[in-house]
Amino acid sequence: MSSTSSSPPAKRHRRRLAATAAVLALVPMLSGWHWAKLGWRDLHYNYPATPQSYDQIVNRFGQPCNADASAVWMSWTASDNGVTYTFRFHRKLGGYPTQMVAGKGGKSTNLDNDVYGHIQNAHLIGYTKSGIWGYNCRYVAGTTKWSTHAFGIAVDISSAYEPMGQCYSTRNKNFASIFKDHGWRWGLDFCDPMHFQYAFGY
Amino acid sequence: MKRVVGVGAGIVLGAFVGLTLVAALGHTEPEPHPYGSPVGPEMPRDTGAGEMLVVVVGGVFETRAEAEAANAEMTFGDVAGYYVVPEAQFQGFVEQVGTPADFALVSAFRTDEGAREFAELAGFLGYPATILANRVRSLGGVYAGLGQEANPDGSGPLTGPVPESLP
Repeated sequence: MSSTSSSPPAKRHRRRLAATAAVLALVPMLSGWHWAKLGWRDLHYNYPATPQSYDQIVNRFGQPCNADASAVWMSWTASDNGVTYTFRFHRKLGGYPTQMVAGKGGKSTNLDNDVYGHIQNAHLIGYTKSGIWGYNCRYVAGTTKWSTHAFGIAVDISSAYEPMGQCYSTRNKNFASIFKDHGWRWGLDFCDPMHFQYAFGY
Repeated sequence: MKRVVGVGAGIVLGAFVGLTLVAALGHTEPEPHPYGSPVGPEMPRDTGAGEMLVVVVGGVFETRAEAEAANAEMTFGDVAGYYVVPEAQFQGFVEQVGTPADFALVSAFRTDEGAREFAELAGFLGYPATILANRVRSLGGVYAGLGQEANPDGSGPLTGPVPESLP
């Protein structure tokens, strides 16, 4: 075995090592560039604990249709029809000033900075389709019980494609995990795949 | 002695591996699936009898069956939309609608702001939504969606008359 000239397997080994080192060095650099370009950080600032019952919803977010329930707004453009939906939600779930969000009197970074930014940053915004709604002072369809929308703690996305009563998802499944990672419950659990709510047990 | 130590080490190792596997693969108790209906309080079906209400109209129909069929087509996502009511339960309704019919799709409000917000929502969904120019008097009857609007003082839902809705 010569010590001055490398055998083909040794060369291959060195090439692999060099390639691995390059990838390991480039990935953080590229991700750093990507994040910096968007100016976004997943801040997780000041989230309220996710309520587990109706009483906890009222204790943490107030009565349905109260002024805080619709205090903060955001815009979200649907990828299919290009319509920008502007909707309102509770001040405890967003509106805090960040690199991406102008201060709107909100108390946390949850929905408008963290969830939305995460979906953008992961290039999943293309799966968010038409019919995007937030606060509505209305009951649950077919009942006289308050919807979580009336508390400003629910968002419907892709409602044109993910109707209530459908027990599977074709669009929202692509980013539902991001909502879940930020304290939200996905309505697919009760056959309402358009629906995301910041509450369990209700 | 060696055998005893070996068996002991095996038991400890086995327990450790077992616990590691349980921690890695185990799950917490699954959540009930599905939750079913929400468990909050059921709100009273407020008809605002005698009050002067603002009404958003989604359509008028000759029969209840036609009105029900049209309403089934107008879904508001997972929140309540229009209600099927006989036109006669609102004094001053027919005069404003101008179309001879017996049933209508409506949602009633005590404030102009509540009516405007609902009409906007219906409009966004592509549904007809006309806010009647003049308030109509509720004669009671079936539930027409009253109570689903914010109290102007910001405290919560509006559950009683306001000065504008009093005759």
